[in-house]
Amino acid sequence: MSMEEFKDRNVGVQNYRMLDLEPNPETGMDKFKQVVKRSVKLELFTGLKVTFREMFNALFRGEMHTTKYPFEKLPISPRYRAIHEMKRLLESGHYRCIGCGLCEKICIANCIRMDTRYDENQRKEVSEYTINFGRCIFCGYCAEVCPELAIVHGGRYETASEQRASYSTFEDMLTPLDQLAQQSEYPGFGAVSADADEKIKKTPLAY
Amino acid sequence: MSSQKKEITITIDGKEIKTQWGKTILEVARENGIYIPTMCYLTKVEPIASCRMCVVNVEGVDGMILSCQEKAVDGAVINTNTADIWRERQKIMELYDVNHPLECGVCDKSGECELQNKTLEFEVDTQEFTAKDQHRPTQNWGFISYDPSLCIMCERCVRVCNEIVGDEALQISVGGYKSTIVNVKQDDDCMECGECMAVCPVGALVSTDFKYSSNAWELSPIPASCSHCSSHCQLYYEVKHESIDNPQEKIYRVTNEFEYSSLCGAGRFAFDFENRVNAKDKEAFNKAVDALKKAETIRFASVITNEEALLLQKISQISGAKLVCDDAYAYSQFIKAYSQTSGKRFYGSDLKSLSKSQMSIVLGTRLYDDAPMVKYHLATSVKREKAQVAYLHPIEDKRLQNLVTKFVKYEPGSEEGVVALLANILIDKSKLDEDAKKWLDNLDIGYISAESNVSEEELDEIKAMMWKKKSFTLIAGEDLYKHPKAKNIAKILGLIDRYSNFELLIIPPASNTMGVSLICDLSDKASGYTVGYNSVGDFVMSSLGDGDIDMPALNQQEGTFTTIDKRVVPTNPALGYNGYELLDIAREAFGLNYEYIIDLTSQLPEEKGFKNIAFDNLPDEFGIDGENKRGYLIDNSEVSSKLLPDDTDDIESFDGTIVYLCNDRGNFNPFTNKSKMFENRGELRGSKQFATAAKISDGDIVKFKVADIEFERVFSIDTSLKGTIALNPIYDIGLSSFAISSYRFNKAKIEKVGRSNE
Repeated sequence: MSMEEFKDRNVGVQNYRMLDLEPNPETGMDKFKQVVKRSVKLELFTGLKVTFREMFNALFRGEMHTTKYPFEKLPISPRYRAIHEMKRLLESGHYRCIGCGLCEKICIANCIRMDTRYDENQRKEVSEYTINFGRCIFCGYCAEVCPELAIVHGGRYETASEQRASYSTFEDMLTPLDQLAQQSEYPGFGAVSADADEKIKKTPLAY
Repeated sequence: MSSQKKEITITIDGKEIKTQWGKTILEVARENGIYIPTMCYLTKVEPIASCRMCVVNVEGVDGMILSCQEKAVDGAVINTNTADIWRERQKIMELYDVNHPLECGVCDKSGECELQNKTLEFEVDTQEFTAKDQHRPTQNWGFISYDPSLCIMCERCVRVCNEIVGDEALQISVGGYKSTIVNVKQDDDCMECGECMAVCPVGALVSTDFKYSSNAWELSPIPASCSHCSSHCQLYYEVKHESIDNPQEKIYRVTNEFEYSSLCGAGRFAFDFENRVNAKDKEAFNKAVDALKKAETIRFASVITNEEALLLQKISQISGAKLVCDDAYAYSQFIKAYSQTSGKRFYGSDLKSLSKSQMSIVLGTRLYDDAPMVKYHLATSVKREKAQVAYLHPIEDKRLQNLVTKFVKYEPGSEEGVVALLANILIDKSKLDEDAKKWLDNLDIGYISAESNVSEEELDEIKAMMWKKKSFTLIAGEDLYKHPKAKNIAKILGLIDRYSNFELLIIPPASNTMGVSLICDLSDKASGYTVGYNSVGDFVMSSLGDGDIDMPALNQQEGTFTTIDKRVVPTNPALGYNGYELLDIAREAFGLNYEYIIDLTSQLPEEKGFKNIAFDNLPDEFGIDGENKRGYLIDNSEVSSKLLPDDTDDIESFDGTIVYLCNDRGNFNPFTNKSKMFENRGELRGSKQFATAAKISDGDIVKFKVADIEFERVFSIDTSLKGTIALNPIYDIGLSSFAISSYRFNKAKIEKVGRSNE
């Protein structure tokens, strides 16, 4: 197989238009002439006109083009791997994490730890869960290995802080209970595929 | 017999193997590194044959053969892995997986589960079989929880409970797919040893305490020896950081090589007896150095490693201080007297030969509570060899009913007479020399029989039990060593050993009594300024954390122990220790400049049978056939002396209300009692008869004095007891329980001082 088609990077439909530009001045005289011409023809004010127009539009007509970070943020891809989120069960509001410890095991930065115990309802309860975000390399393995889709990556990418403890806590990562209705499934790494339902085989029940 | 040991040649998977007749195909395959998968097989019990995973093809034989129970025959050509067999095994795994809950995520066994491993190994990814699921509620049996829906009915637990432990607590409730395991002795007699839990291949039987506290793969196993009793069984302390907030290591559970060895409840559940110390206490250290320098007596408990015992011996040689260890002194005197008549340095039996013995006599011990491991091996002998067991003790033990053929009750205090009576029936009189014969003829059987309350009919019955049996064991226990006439008892036992077919097993009363009695030159009485090392004294060094200076507990120390099998086994520290240890004090006080305590391992006295092997070179493993290869065995050489026992006249037995010092259910000592699962305030337990005799009733708070210790306890009536002997535990009285030098049965005046509120 030839590599031709892979080497041809000129793919897609381009709408390039050549600009009607003068050739660059070559001699000193030509350069001098260009300066004089631009100054005398007041081309500078053409540019200033555009600047002032945009300034006016921005200040008085509300047509700002800049994103006012950190007050405004651009939407990012759902596959982006930033600070983790811990999802809840929609029915009960209980967190989905069952404390299986797989994220802890798979974590290559060794930054996840959990304490579990036998709780009053005879279930395995996660009594404490921490991720050391100073160490996390946001590889996404924890989200991929999670059998319950409980730990996923969110879009919160600002992690600067004065103390490690305030990067994020388990409670921060959990979906707030009042926003449970807005909790969405994670479409990124490790999520169930769109045709998951069709792939499921039923256990045969012959009785 | 000799023809059965003949050499045979078999071929397994094209490999020609020479072996001896009598081994099963599976055993031969394993010895030669050929893998045959199994689910229910356990090396230490007879083949269970419930899983059928071990099927193999033998050429010329129709159908598949169970390799675990079929003996290899000469010339057999065996295939262990054909496409058919593989499919068979895959279907078996598929069947095991029917309705098995998909809760590996929370299951404690996940990561070390044999069902998980074999399901993946045989690539089970679909399920063809179905069965209607049953309602199977989980059960809590105390230390152990049972989840029947996870159970695969491999029967391992039932088998160990019967064949190894001898409790017969677990049974199968047969009902096809509805079958479950039931604990018929859940409420009273199940000794909660956790043996069933250890062998469970899935998460059906788990520790209630450990449940959901950690995943198996997070724990690091530390190989060690159990420090609680003289069996010093192999175990692993499994440690992990305590929690997210506390990085300090903590023991989460105890596991063991369950294929080959066993543990009792104390070994498995009383693991958290460590002495946590935050920093070195310089002030206490200086005081300890001064105290040790001026000590005239060092009193210690035999719950100690061989190395520290040797260190104490060296200290006593330098400073001239007397060494006092009550348990070990009594025991060493007993063994000494025994060898004077037997001509052997030690008793000849060990746990393994006990499990193969066909007739056993138990004398002077409440076996179930004193030495669970001896009871395990006795049970194995009953189950496998159909052994006959005579149990001689003043208190009948209902819990041993299924093992014991004949209970013989004697009067407390009359042990000397009982031993003489035994000598009379057990000794082969034709072998005796003149003097010994004379001694035997001098016995006033009628008088002794009357005083000890052992009738001649009962003795005849014991004699009848020996009929047609080939190997015999006489187990002598703790009651005898501190008996006022212990020496003579030992001498008579020695005579029995010499002139009968009986091998003796003289159970060391505490953890390393055997080692201490060999290593240290002990004195009988403390005098002058006394330093107590895990014992009472003017200055107390304690691993319980209640003394003048803290010492590391035995799960924080490395060293060796000497076991009931006369084997020297290594142990490793599971947890770190931040304070001072005995070696630090000895170095400062006497310039004993050893870097580590294990430097002393190779210096253990060779003239006493120890070997010059460095600690790091001690093996700690089992052979593939379960052979114990841990450490080394102490030489049991012959000694020449042929004394005779003194005449047995004047047997004193006592009546009235008697208190027996006896720890229950494997709660051996203050160390086991320190662990959270065993922690217990002892009660005085007695029968209704005892209550009437002492004029007290259930729930009374009573006061009494035995062995120079004042006790104030709640009295409770135990309906399984009879007679006027009450059981009084000593595990909750701290270090003074290591300094008792009196006989275990004591006459006591019981005084009622109040009522318990509960």
